Amino acid sequence: MPYLRRYVAMLLIAVMALVSLPVAAAQTAGLVSTQSALQADSAASDRERINDVLARADVQEQLLAQGVSVDQVQDRVASLSDAETRQMADQLDQMPAGAGGGVIGALFAVFIILLVTDILGLTNVFPFTR
Amino acid sequence: MFSRLPAKRLKRLRLMTQNARPAGVLASLLLLTLLLGGCAASPELRDSSYQTLPAHAELDDVPFYPQEKYQCGPAALATVLNYSPAAQDASRNAWTANNAEATSPAEHSDKAQDVTDNDSAEISVDSLIVQVFIPGREGSVQPEMLATARRHQRLAFPVRPTFDALLGHVAAGDPVVVMQNLSLPAWPMWHYAVVIGYDLADETLTLRSGETRRQTLSFARFDATWARSQRWGFILAKPGRIPADVTAKRAVDAISAYEALHGAKATLSSWQALSVAQPQNAMGHFALGNAYYAINRLEKAAQAFKHAAAIDDTLGVAWLNLGLVYQQQDNHREARSALEKAAALPGSWQQQARTALDTL
Repeated sequence: MPYLRRYVAMLLIAVMALVSLPVAAAQTAGLVSTQSALQADSAASDRERINDVLARADVQEQLLAQGVSVDQVQDRVASLSDAETRQMADQLDQMPAGAGGGVIGALFAVFIILLVTDILGLTNVFPFTR
Repeated sequence: MFSRLPAKRLKRLRLMTQNARPAGVLASLLLLTLLLGGCAASPELRDSSYQTLPAHAELDDVPFYPQEKYQCGPAALATVLNYSPAAQDASRNAWTANNAEATSPAEHSDKAQDVTDNDSAEISVDSLIVQVFIPGREGSVQPEMLATARRHQRLAFPVRPTFDALLGHVAAGDPVVVMQNLSLPAWPMWHYAVVIGYDLADETLTLRSGETRRQTLSFARFDATWARSQRWGFILAKPGRIPADVTAKRAVDAISAYEALHGAKATLSSWQALSVAQPQNAMGHFALGNAYYAINRLEKAAQAFKHAAAIDDTLGVAWLNLGLVYQQQDNHREARSALEKAAALPGSWQQQARTALDTL
């Protein structure tokens, strides 16, 4: 996997360099896009763009590792905004994943605590407390 | 026989001493939760909310998709994606593109076509599962909830994290997808549900949640579970509609994310609606200018950039783009004056403005 990432990075740098050559020549007429204006830093925008592409590759890798199907993963990553992609790349592991109703490790003590907090109105785990 | 008895007794004794410590921990935890009991107090609504909000609201037409296993994310998404209220288009505070300046007839028919296409097809929970569920996490994460709505031609606006805003959206006709932690932070039970109604007198919320079509929760209990996600939630709108009470920054971010996925042409109506709903939002006018430019309507683009610069004189990027548009129209005099404004403003776009001035 690290090899893959390095390979992708090198490929990206090459592509970006090639693509930016003709663009740089005709750059004078290009307007500033809304997306880059929102990032609000033109000096860093090229670097930012490479980082964004790398972050997307990273998120894609992580989602595949988490069992998302191959034919879906590209569309899923493509529909994320830049900010969302960065957020996912940085902290997918710690991000809360809404599942709704998994049974929590069947510790009796935990059961009692949650029962009490439910009755107190602090949590909403057991429907029968209402 | 005889030798086994003491062993049994010993075991029982050991069990008792083992249980003693958890029992102590349990007792202190109970005490702690009792002390924390004050946190379960009802969230305080602003006085103005009591005055302006209707005492009772419920969006009965919001469909219900019971969740299977861990799939509350796809179920909540299906609930709001398949809700298209007839009343909402003409709704009180929301702005639609029809209110905005008229687009050309060709664009209008395009848009009408898009809308009918979306309305006819129901979006199934199964189709959403493959788009938003992460098997390894047995759940769905927040960014992908927003992104998936975008894939289905909806703009996703995160809501302001306050109870007043939540009730305000429901009162304005927008069901709100919320993220809750039903349990305690130590043993989280993350859950997505859809708030569809409330009652101020009873202090209760009504939700489509999990396997319950109409769940009623007290304000206090709901807010305790919602606060654990930093009161995260979002509402959806079709292109061309800006829901009531969305902040300037959140609106621009949401529309811009939609534009990055679907292109300027599909997003123009939303920028138009924003320029009417939030006439003082300079970034909104700037973005409208870019969308016009992308579909080659330079006249309109220049007008929007000028508008943005008029609202915020220090928005260098608006002056810069205005100058560049004038330059393309061979209007060198106006181009120079706009670019000089941009070049005089310290900031990220100064250098680019100077370069453009040199080539003029």
